[in-house]
Amino acid sequence: MNDATRAETLLKVEDVTLVLGDRVILREVNAEIRNVIRPGLSQGQVVSLLGPSGIGKTQLFRIMAGLQKPSRGKVLVTEKALPVEAGMVGVVDQHYTLFAHRTVGDNLLIAGRQGGLPRARAEARARELLGRLKLAERWDEWPANLSGGQRQRVAIAQQLLCSEHYLLMDEPFSGLDPNMKDEVCELIAEVAALHELTTILVITHDIASAITISDTLWLLGRDPAGEDGKVHAGARVQGVYDLVERGLAWRPEVQTLPAFRDLSLELRARFRTL
Amino acid sequence: MTRGLFSPFARVTPAQRVVAVGVFWTLVLAGWTLFHHHTAIIPTPVEVARSWVELLGQGLLVRLLESYALNLQAMALAAILSSVFAYASVVGAFRPAAKLVSQLRFLGMTGITFVFGMYFSGRGLQVAMLVFGVAVFYVTSLLSVVQGVPSGQLDHARTLRMGPWRTLWEVVVRGTFDQALDVLRQNAAMGWMMLTMVEGLVRSQGGVGVMLIDQNRRLNLAGVFALQASILAVGIGQDYFLGQLRLLLCPYSKLRER
Repeated sequence: MNDATRAETLLKVEDVTLVLGDRVILREVNAEIRNVIRPGLSQGQVVSLLGPSGIGKTQLFRIMAGLQKPSRGKVLVTEKALPVEAGMVGVVDQHYTLFAHRTVGDNLLIAGRQGGLPRARAEARARELLGRLKLAERWDEWPANLSGGQRQRVAIAQQLLCSEHYLLMDEPFSGLDPNMKDEVCELIAEVAALHELTTILVITHDIASAITISDTLWLLGRDPAGEDGKVHAGARVQGVYDLVERGLAWRPEVQTLPAFRDLSLELRARFRTL
Repeated sequence: MTRGLFSPFARVTPAQRVVAVGVFWTLVLAGWTLFHHHTAIIPTPVEVARSWVELLGQGLLVRLLESYALNLQAMALAAILSSVFAYASVVGAFRPAAKLVSQLRFLGMTGITFVFGMYFSGRGLQVAMLVFGVAVFYVTSLLSVVQGVPSGQLDHARTLRMGPWRTLWEVVVRGTFDQALDVLRQNAAMGWMMLTMVEGLVRSQGGVGVMLIDQNRRLNLAGVFALQASILAVGIGQDYFLGQLRLLLCPYSKLRER
């Protein structure tokens, strides 16, 4: 487990500040995701961005997806450190948005074509991906006929076909029962194993699920009040937790470990101060 | 048997539906007959039926066909023009034009007829009046559909590397096509409401509106009722046809409504 190393930077958030009107939402956010190398394995990266509700997670999510420009700072993606633009990073929102007027197959085909693949290759990749996500037989189905879990899988496949390796997931555990949460955790682990460079960033406030699926946790929150009682406006990354170092990454039985419980309690305590 | 029939949101069984429809139409016919005895002006259902048969002999079907063709032509033009205005409203420069067309629905037709008469005549005048009358409402409804597209869907298109025009086509035009057809279905009824007026403007073009004006002038209420019932039947048929067309072209629309 500990023979894993971290190599080149795949995504970097550099001094990102967001001011909306006169409100500072994000202040000098800095963080990076590096390629995790596990010898003999195809291991992608899974990072969870944790933070209390209303702290600015979704705004940071939109900035990292290239859907919103920050007031200052930048987000760089790929090994070539290119400034992010919409379409470079796949996004699976809370509603698992798909084109309702296209069948599952059409939704995937259009994503592949938008990603620059010729039609035949786009179809082959789409069918392969759908098969790996255990939905091969739903090719001709309308999205409205899919269950929530199936929609989520198709939305993931669609985004991977277009953006290839990067995936941002907004609150994928929101409103799910414990069994469904386990399924989503398994799904994220499966998707992360699809390719060495697959990089998944999950925005959530579900601490247990975040520890279960991630190799790294980012904690977003506001600075505590200073001695003069003044609070700095705007959230920033208050802590980075390396779960590989802590021996918590990629362990199916992680929730039974004492270290899991300790980290959960530590994070819960920090949540109260953010 | 009646349990649930008078409770909001209660499930109605097929048997209850039959009873509800039967009672409703019995009450309508009873009310009609009572009204006839009370005023002696309103014709009885039998008189209306007789008049309808007479009108058939006077070429009612041909007149209906003429009106239907006129309405169809105007609806097609109104749909095209309204779609252009409504979809163009997502482009800042064209938004004021779409808003203005929508607000023109508050105008009365009286003065407008004169203006249209300066540029059109005969069938052209009829079509222009109908297109104007329908398009101002059609644009209003379609604008509401366009503005109702969730921003999440626009973002979704952007995450798939779609540019603004491709997003407009995929999310707004194609994505709301089923709703646009439904808006057309609702607004197509407006054409039939205006038909008498525009056919009365140019009587030489014929149509059921001319027949209606004639029957009304002769105070033949049975004939008026018979013609109105015919228009109603054609309208209901048209409504059904457009509903089926929507299901045929957009089978997902039924699923979306669930």
